[in-house]
Amino acid sequence: MVNWSDIAEIQPLASRIITNSIKKDRISHAYLLHGARGTGKEAIAELIAKNLFCENLAGVEPCNQCNACRRIASGNHPDVHWIEPEGQSIKIEQIRNLQKEFSYSGMESTRKVYVIKGAETLTVNAANRILKFLEEPSKQTTAIMLTENSQAILPTIRSRCQIIDLQPLNVIQFQQKLMENEVSESTARLMGALTNNLDEAIARSNDEWFATARKIVVQLIEMFADNPQDVYLFIHNHWVGHFKERNEQEEGLDLLLIAFKDVLYYHIGNETEMVFFSNQEQMLEKVALSFSQEELLGHLNAIMQAKRKLKQNVNPTLVMEQLTLQIQR
Amino acid sequence: MKFIIQRDQLIASVQDVMKAISSRTVIPILTGMKIEAKESGITLTGSDSDISIESFIPAEENGNVNVEQIEEGSIVLQAKYFPDIVRKLPEKTVEIEADENLKVTIRSGKAEFNLNGQDAEEYPQLPKLQTNDSFELPIDLLKSLIKQTVFAVSTMETRPILTGVNIKLENGNLVFTATDSHRLASREIPVSEAPGQLPTVVVPGKSLNELNKILDDTEETVEISVTNNQILFRTKNLNFLSRLLDGNYPETSRLIPEQSKTVLHVKTKELLSTIDRASLLAKEERNNVVRLSTRGNGLIEITSNSPEVGTVAEEITVPSISGEELKISFSSKYMIDALKAIEYEEVKVEFTGAMRPFIIRPANDDPILQLILPVRTY
Repeated sequence: MVNWSDIAEIQPLASRIITNSIKKDRISHAYLLHGARGTGKEAIAELIAKNLFCENLAGVEPCNQCNACRRIASGNHPDVHWIEPEGQSIKIEQIRNLQKEFSYSGMESTRKVYVIKGAETLTVNAANRILKFLEEPSKQTTAIMLTENSQAILPTIRSRCQIIDLQPLNVIQFQQKLMENEVSESTARLMGALTNNLDEAIARSNDEWFATARKIVVQLIEMFADNPQDVYLFIHNHWVGHFKERNEQEEGLDLLLIAFKDVLYYHIGNETEMVFFSNQEQMLEKVALSFSQEELLGHLNAIMQAKRKLKQNVNPTLVMEQLTLQIQR
Repeated sequence: MKFIIQRDQLIASVQDVMKAISSRTVIPILTGMKIEAKESGITLTGSDSDISIESFIPAEENGNVNVEQIEEGSIVLQAKYFPDIVRKLPEKTVEIEADENLKVTIRSGKAEFNLNGQDAEEYPQLPKLQTNDSFELPIDLLKSLIKQTVFAVSTMETRPILTGVNIKLENGNLVFTATDSHRLASREIPVSEAPGQLPTVVVPGKSLNELNKILDDTEETVEISVTNNQILFRTKNLNFLSRLLDGNYPETSRLIPEQSKTVLHVKTKELLSTIDRASLLAKEERNNVVRLSTRGNGLIEITSNSPEVGTVAEEITVPSISGEELKISFSSKYMIDALKAIEYEEVKVEFTGAMRPFIIRPANDDPILQLILPVRTY
């Protein structure tokens, strides 16, 4: 069970802001929690909800024992509503149902909480529909929106919420934790750059798919340096076959991005920050020779753009083809 | 938890409770049915969070033993499977047993089901309503109150509060009011031995429709009590709870005109079928407009016309008509709904000009009131 004291370790600032407002009984009507994956957004949302419903609060800490706390943790509390993206986005229908729900009186109490996960995926219509609802909350309603990218949220929504920025996790601490869990140092560094979630990182480091993915990225970069003419073929023979799902494709691009960043670091002598090529000096030297710093910057930009296109539902094979053509040039 | 129960009793109760359970619910536990065993009997609970139904099976009733060997406890069972299982069991009695690991065993004759239950602690707690703030109504009266008002609630979600029926208790009178802002239906009845004050509440029209379906037409009474969040309708072995709509119901008393310029007495059935005929040519996209005009000599004419299709006109002789001459257009659908809701032979229609709302009441001044806004035509 998580407590505010646990949150305070990873998010000292955010937890202080929220616990202070609880102490002074000035909980905002709407929060926007903004932070990367694994920074504890959901845990904080759950804690706020528990704070509001717990029957025997000890100061600011919910008891985690009472009926209300237990049901919030299991998602069965009738006055706490969780909204998650259905597929790629949060649809207007979901918001309509939520609004209908809120025109009713509470089931057990007069207080209500709703939590919107992935608030950046609200469709434009859904976002506009929720605006008025956010602005004129009926009494004792608390909205908690969770997002990884607060800039992708309508500014009109942002301005109606108290924004709480969660800081990224401490990478070194995270790597140490990983190494305590018998993950090799080089993999731990890579994981630190890819994710903030410990369980996910450990699972990934033992995953065969991930090992192959890493190999393919190395091969691809080597090929860019050695014989760029064949890259196009390589993409079709290996890359497209391995990175099938949407999240896999995104991860492939993330790996590529980190790898190119390493090459750039090698150029400017920032070797300590390298995560991908940390133990492959020879090959790195070879690759570094074939790209200038300016070219590398251009490539990084191209990769970022490719990531954005994937998010906008461009055909993934076309995105990869375009990217390789851009890097080849 | 353990008990042995008569299967027929259980089936009847399960069927009642199932009416509240929906498979499309956001709260996972609500896909289940809660079973609670106490010395006095078994309580089944189902809910879709808007409405909740509790059915009670007494351990003993009129000398018949329904439930035996009760060990107290409670459990939540998957509502998807439990009703079918109970219906198809071979014997007349069913034994249900739950252990501390939430495993449920259902035995009947030689059939034995083992189901995974859920913790009853996870189930929403229904409010404990005190009975001292309650009053009683005969079931058939409640049903007609619902029928005469609930059709007028709004179906649009733009003003959620109008999707409910406003129930208030004033000076010993119980008033039901529903409106969608184009028409209004209300009915008043005196309540004996009513508590002095009851909070004014707005009950969702959907819940009242459900309630109307669940209650049988019997002479028995239903007890009504209200808290801040929920309203409870209690019959002998059934508790029906509905959540309330939040917000302020618009003040409707001022909408009802006090004077009238034209008063019409007319046979309900005659007017109803005439308007029904005229509405055949009224277009839905133009509000089903029909037109009523007075013709003197105790005659009124109902006409409707849609340029592409044709016209219809019909005259009715009315028992009495007084006041100014009048031509007024209104929605035939609203008129038909209103006339159907008034279960009296003769109605009195009071107009105050072509652009003002008019009201329809039974001729004998029974406090049913239907108000309709006219449609502006040029």
